[in-house]
Amino acid sequence: MRHFQQELEELKGKLLEMSALVEAAIQRSVSAVTQKDRSAAEQVLRDEAHVNELEMAIDEFAINLLATQQPLAADLRLIVAALKINTDLERMGDLSVNIAQKAVSLLSEPVVTPMVDIEHMSALVESMVRKSLDAFVTHDADLARSVLAADDAVDSLRTASYHELVSFMEKNPQNIPQALDLIGITRSLERIADHSTNVAEDVLFLVKGIDVRHRSEARR
Amino acid sequence: MRHFAVELEELNQALLEMGAMVESSIHCSVQALVDRDERMARRVIEDEARINRMELDIDSRVTRLLALNQPVAGDLRLLIIALKINTDLERMGDLAVNIAERAISLANVPPVKPLVDTPRMASLVEDMLHRSLDAFVKRDATLAAKVLPADDEVDALRDNIYSELLDLMQNTPGVVPNAIHLMFVARNLERIADHATNIAEDVIFLVKGVDVRHHATEF
Repeated sequence: MRHFQQELEELKGKLLEMSALVEAAIQRSVSAVTQKDRSAAEQVLRDEAHVNELEMAIDEFAINLLATQQPLAADLRLIVAALKINTDLERMGDLSVNIAQKAVSLLSEPVVTPMVDIEHMSALVESMVRKSLDAFVTHDADLARSVLAADDAVDSLRTASYHELVSFMEKNPQNIPQALDLIGITRSLERIADHSTNVAEDVLFLVKGIDVRHRSEARR
Repeated sequence: MRHFAVELEELNQALLEMGAMVESSIHCSVQALVDRDERMARRVIEDEARINRMELDIDSRVTRLLALNQPVAGDLRLLIIALKINTDLERMGDLAVNIAERAISLANVPPVKPLVDTPRMASLVEDMLHRSLDAFVKRDATLAAKVLPADDEVDALRDNIYSELLDLMQNTPGVVPNAIHLMFVARNLERIADHATNIAEDVIFLVKGVDVRHHATEF
């Protein structure tokens, strides 16, 4: 059984590797927007294939563990959670690709609006991603809960920037395409936050055995 | 202890039931938008709780089947895919709720434009979901492969809707807030189509053992 524990550690390690890649992609895609950095955007687009390969490799690894080790109880739950987290990470990677694509389209347009609060929002979101994965690896329920709280902060930032951008568009119809790109970017960041919330919820289920999904009152 | 095959069949039924519920939410959310029917939109929002309960129920069924039966090979893959389909269905339900919320915002303001492409997009998307689940239950990779091309049609409709709304906003800035709602409806329908595509890809993986994710064109 020692061997099996090592394989579980390896599974966690692979998920951490994937999350490091995804975090880097988020960071690069956002600096592509804020610094108008085309090469950062292009790197995110190039790295997507790597994220996808890793997703399939992790799925394969987890399914093999289920098949060959016939795990019970806690180990089984861990592997099921790993499968779900893997899907969430891959979606976060896709969303950073969306941001990078919008960054490219913004390059050709003049900067017209205060950059809403993309930097603040993305810093929050990146820390959620990191914390949710740390919480998974260390089985830390408190850390997982802090991710759920941060999600509300991200949502309010997104709502504020949305209203700001809508009224900007009404006043500056010639700049609507840029503002729509910015709305899309904040929406993608908010979706990334939602995916780290999923990860945090899976961790709580894993550690505490309670399912907090769809029960907002139980998360507090 | 119940027979594994019976429990698998129940799991199939549970997924189909959830699929039917999600399909109806998608349909009603867009219908509510077209008919400016706030009550129908609110029903979609109320139904979300049921969809969420179904998701939790299916997850615990699968985990129990994994724990009690220690399935191998084909059955194991089937259970993993049931978990993935479950997640996709729940997300589609969320997206339908988002459409319903936008339908409510739009029900009491003057119409932005006649909605032609949006209901067309919705019926394409419903059909994709229906066929992908059908393919899952029948373990039919050919049926699943037929779902994949519809995704391009959905994307094309989405692009049409986007550029039409963009023109409209640039010429009539007053419609911006409401036109954005319609853009998001198109985007949500496109996302629902992506989830149906995920299901179809999972079915192909299940039947053929090949992973077509991330290079669906090879199929």
